[in-house]
Amino acid sequence: MKRLALLAALSLLATPALAADWAVDVPHSHLGFSGVQNGAPFQGSFGKWNAEIAFDPAHPDAGHAKVTIDLSSAKTGDVQRDGALPQAEWFDVKAFPEATFEATGFVAKGGDTYEAPGKLTIRGIAKDVVLPFTLTVTGDKATAKGHLSLVRTGFGVGQGVWATAEWVGLDVGVDVDLTATHSGS
Amino acid sequence: MRYHLVAIILHWVIALGILALIVLGLAMTHLGLAPMAKFQLYQLHKSIGITVLLAVLLRVFWRLTHRPPPLPAMPPLEKAVAEGTHGVLYLLMLIIPLSGWALVSVSPFNLPTVLYGLVPWPHLPVFPDLANKAQVEAVVRFIHGKLAWALAAIIALHAGAALRHHFVLRDGILRRMLPLKDPQS
Repeated sequence: MKRLALLAALSLLATPALAADWAVDVPHSHLGFSGVQNGAPFQGSFGKWNAEIAFDPAHPDAGHAKVTIDLSSAKTGDVQRDGALPQAEWFDVKAFPEATFEATGFVAKGGDTYEAPGKLTIRGIAKDVVLPFTLTVTGDKATAKGHLSLVRTGFGVGQGVWATAEWVGLDVGVDVDLTATHSGS
Repeated sequence: MRYHLVAIILHWVIALGILALIVLGLAMTHLGLAPMAKFQLYQLHKSIGITVLLAVLLRVFWRLTHRPPPLPAMPPLEKAVAEGTHGVLYLLMLIIPLSGWALVSVSPFNLPTVLYGLVPWPHLPVFPDLANKAQVEAVVRFIHGKLAWALAAIIALHAGAALRHHFVLRDGILRRMLPLKDPQS
């Protein structure tokens, strides 16, 4: 028994460091966000982002993902709001052009559900978050869908007069809908 | 003799615009409206304010390049008061929208202006980069509000005089600015 455990541990250690073995099809994926302004919900999405994903369903804990988001590409369909988002009060894209999410290891939660614990960095503020997602793999194609709830002020998004919920709600959602192709290894 | 049709149209566009701005300005600051309604009234006030500013600039240009119809025989004092009133009217019609534009530009909200939700309008230079925006905003807000009351008083004088000329003196002076067919011609 002991020997078997040792063998298993050794085989885990022997697993080669995984490169990005999933190529994300960005045009067919969606990285969205949602919030509430003046009591009215709105939705938006990021047009420019990329993701490097290494994921083996047999060894989810050995996986790794890094998503880099160009914050200046945020669009919500409202000229005024989209003009405000890059400003210093919000994403401050001059100082912080990118947000990143880096997951080190995935956790299988049974069935097609997983969790990606990782570090989300917006405006230079890094926080530990857990992104739950469902994974569907058909052949060499996979789709992953997840939702993350954030408090925007935890990352300093909405400074000064915007730091309260008076005009824009503090709770925001992030919606991830990825399509990726396995690139072999 | 009547004013040129261009002058008549500009006069009434500006008149209606200023009336709307006074009503909106009072409503958005005094009614304690729900956030969405208040927000939308502010945006409409900004849009109409810039429209009036542009119309006033056109009106001033037209006035400087076209001779207005002569006044009827009037006591010299009344003539002087009429000319003074018009001078103050023009001055306020330029300073008030400019101070409103400055107010938006220096506001800690730093909200982009999008005229009627369609046309992005820039902030004035310098104001957005001031270090003490909150204090400057308070001063400009005070000036904008007080001058608006002064304009309302001057408009009452202007309209009262026009009505006096029409109904008491019956010298046809109001008809020069009405967009109607002259019954006497």
